[in-house]
Amino acid sequence: MILLLALVIPAVTGTALILYGRVFRPSAEGNANTLSLVASVATAGFVTAAVITRPVLDQPWLPSLGVRMHFSVDGISAPLLILTAALSIAVVLNARSRPPHGGSSSMFYGCLQLVELGALATFLARDAVIFYLSFEVVLIPMWVLISRYGDSHDLAARADASGRFVLYTVLGSTLMLIGILALVQASGTANLDALAAAHGAGLARHTQIIIAALLLVGMGIKIPVFPLHTWLPPAHTIAPTAGSVMLAAVLLKMGTYGVVRLVIAPLPIGFGALAPAFAVVGVVGIVWGGLACLVENDLKRLIAYSSVAHMGFVVLGLSSGTTAGLQAALFANIAHGVVSALLFFLVGGLKERWGSADLATARAALREVSPRLGLALVVGFAASLGLPGLVGFWGEFLAMYSAWNPAPDRPQTLMRVLVVVAVLGAGVAAAYSLRVLRLIWSGDRTTPAHEDARGGEWSVLAVLVAAVLVLGVAPGLVLNSTSKDVAAITMEVSR
Amino acid sequence: MSQAVVSVNAGILLPVLAPALGAAVVLVTDVAVQHLRRVHYVIALTSLVVGAVATFAGLGVVAGAARRTLCLPAGGQCMYVADSVASTLQLAALLAAALTLLLSWPDDKKQSPGSTAVIMSMVLTATAGATAVAGAHDVGSWLVALELATLPTVALVALRGARSAISGAIALLTAALVSFALLALSAALWFTATGSGFLTPAAALVGFHDPVRRPILVLAVVVLIAGIGFKLSLVPFHAWTPEAYDGAPLPIAAFLAGVSKIAAAAALLVVIQAIAPLGEPPLAAMAIVAAVSMTLGNIMALRQDGVVRLLAWSTVAQAGWVVLPLAAVSSAAVHASGAYLLAYVLATLLAFAVVAALVQIRGAARARDLTEYRGLLSAHPVLASALGLALLSLAGLPPGVLGLVAKVAALRPVVTSELWVLAIVAAVNAVLGVAVYLRWLLKVISSPDTTEQASPPAVPDGAALVAVQAIRAHPATLVAVGLTAVALVLTSLSPTMLLGMLGR
Repeated sequence: MILLLALVIPAVTGTALILYGRVFRPSAEGNANTLSLVASVATAGFVTAAVITRPVLDQPWLPSLGVRMHFSVDGISAPLLILTAALSIAVVLNARSRPPHGGSSSMFYGCLQLVELGALATFLARDAVIFYLSFEVVLIPMWVLISRYGDSHDLAARADASGRFVLYTVLGSTLMLIGILALVQASGTANLDALAAAHGAGLARHTQIIIAALLLVGMGIKIPVFPLHTWLPPAHTIAPTAGSVMLAAVLLKMGTYGVVRLVIAPLPIGFGALAPAFAVVGVVGIVWGGLACLVENDLKRLIAYSSVAHMGFVVLGLSSGTTAGLQAALFANIAHGVVSALLFFLVGGLKERWGSADLATARAALREVSPRLGLALVVGFAASLGLPGLVGFWGEFLAMYSAWNPAPDRPQTLMRVLVVVAVLGAGVAAAYSLRVLRLIWSGDRTTPAHEDARGGEWSVLAVLVAAVLVLGVAPGLVLNSTSKDVAAITMEVSR
Repeated sequence: MSQAVVSVNAGILLPVLAPALGAAVVLVTDVAVQHLRRVHYVIALTSLVVGAVATFAGLGVVAGAARRTLCLPAGGQCMYVADSVASTLQLAALLAAALTLLLSWPDDKKQSPGSTAVIMSMVLTATAGATAVAGAHDVGSWLVALELATLPTVALVALRGARSAISGAIALLTAALVSFALLALSAALWFTATGSGFLTPAAALVGFHDPVRRPILVLAVVVLIAGIGFKLSLVPFHAWTPEAYDGAPLPIAAFLAGVSKIAAAAALLVVIQAIAPLGEPPLAAMAIVAAVSMTLGNIMALRQDGVVRLLAWSTVAQAGWVVLPLAAVSSAAVHASGAYLLAYVLATLLAFAVVAALVQIRGAARARDLTEYRGLLSAHPVLASALGLALLSLAGLPPGVLGLVAKVAALRPVVTSELWVLAIVAAVNAVLGVAVYLRWLLKVISSPDTTEQASPPAVPDGAALVAVQAIRAHPATLVAVGLTAVALVLTSLSPTMLLGMLGR
């Protein structure tokens, strides 16, 4: 019941906002915002209740295809659910200070609700086909957010960005569907818990490799890993702030979460065979993303490239095959969610103030004219470069640590070489983070002045800054939640 | 042969008899009282609804419990077998035909009065052919029923009399004749290979286990795929499709995309069901045709600027998806193909219904031009939402969950048979299809003014809006849009309503 409400509220609110958008128009912004704020808070309440009480919903849905409406919560999905619910409130709050441009606001909030619905359903799903369906739910709302509410300076670029986003993702998810169908066919169940418990028993090595390859390529587009990432920078550059935040902080996580659920748990042998290649593209992404950030002059695009680099660390951790590596990946997932949300809120606000996100233009130093924005920016980029004591540190440090001592069936030499390269990538991250701070935070220019963060925008930034600090000091909040279920996947004794 | 009296159960045959009788009643009425129009529509709709109700008994039954009639006394071979798949397709054909009638409901001003009875009788005849072929289990009635479903559509396309209609009709006629020749050849080959006039697994097994006759059986199936390919407009037998759709009146184009497709697919499924138990290796011919149809259909649809032509090419691509699961010859594949067909027909008919409504509101030229769909969401929010749902269903993306489930169902047999290359081609085509339909949808949702101001979009041209909305669509057309949209929403919420009809 709790689970059902957590899904029905965003579904109904979203649909109602989109369909009855014209009814809300007379009093415009306020109503739609309030309604979706109430819905998001209520959803967050039910999600929190679900995380605490761990209910299970299991109903037949499509008997002829053997698909069940099966939802539940476990330690791996709990942090992601909380993150999704919290950020869904945050984007609505932020839009109170910075309303959307380009179309009716009820459509905008309706699409945000549907994105939340898809993300929550993805993290809750315990049926492989439902997982795929939920994965697809976010697509069209996000496409509308980008193509309708995105940066309207260059319409052709906007159409290109939204089209790329949706087409890449559909290719990825359809490949994933083929992999899921093959997995379900080969192992005889679509139940993710049963698939994880079987650890690939009864599946031949070559079958596992084929299925794992299909799933990894499919979800690699979503994560995104190196050669498949080219949709991400334009999508982030064009998307409105709320779209960028949900995209970076929630949608990308669906890819890595899917890898844990559908590849690592049910196909250990297949993933083991492909892990070295997966790790290589992850590390290439770390370096590539970092180098791109060093020369990128569009601030939103820069953060998008840094996302590619951060997800590279997640991929490295996943590939190590150890409990520590998986823990690191899941933690880095959450960490990137918090940090990228913070940075995109910040940069989205700055872009509206500046009129563009170009770094080459001389601006007033944030330290001088808007100390709140400046503080948030420093914390965000410090976390992004992996400063110890902040949230970004643990995931990346543990990922490299676990890859240095990978599982016995992984090629140790290759993994160690990759760790060395990843360390270099982390160095590049420090360089580009400091470059951005030097360009827009430090200095003593005070013109052209702009207003500091206030109201909804400031409260969102403050909460995220606090989250960066709290999770940096006490990473156990997340790690303890995931440890038991991660150990079950890797079959190691929990330490 | 002295006692060879065939058993007849009129109740089981009612889905076929009702439209056929309706056609006769329409013609008789026309002889008795001339210049009637609405009466013919009422008769036709009534007969279609009666036929549709008669199919209910056959929905969702298990495989063994099919309804049979026209059985030979001795061997128990039946010429008419309505299992759950056949009954579902009959229901779909009858409802699709009824929808076509709603779209062409007579206006007081237009249309010459004499042709109404002719149009009605031809629509009903073609529908009777479609329902008959779904149940036909002997080669003779199968062939006749399939042609009965095809030939009236040629006249329906031509009736408008415009030059484009005539050229469309000629393209369709040529395709129909070639297709008939191939199907007749295939029927003869089937008889040679199996020695039986029945399309049953038992007959197929006879031919399959004889090494001499086995190649003939394979040839029969391949020729049959080619013959059906014309009717389903599969590449390379598709060339007539855009011509005929574009030349025909819009309701008739909807009929071609709905009832005619159901008839062709039903005919194909009858044969595939007969050969399914052979455990035949995957049908390479079907796989190639499916892959090429999807790809070419989508690529050509991407290049169209006319809405009807876009839909025509989209049906080519969708036909590829319909036959995709059949590359793996199995009973599950037949169900998957049926499921995809139903989802496709429902979504396509909704798209046609919306276009038909827009033709009445904005005139044919504007409603058929893709660029004129810019800002439709602000101008006609309800029609635009219905169109959006239809397009997303065709693209297979939520909220068009039905299309998504159909895609899952269609891909499953392909994956089960480990046809990886075909599966990858299908995945690429899923992307191309999304590009096709989102290109249209992007126009629908974008702001009407090209400058993209931040101001609310509908306000600036409010006066023009009132003038446009002064012309309303015909109530029957709006009923058609409403019914189809509700059906699509309900089946998206609970796809099992539709899939359950096909049985297990």
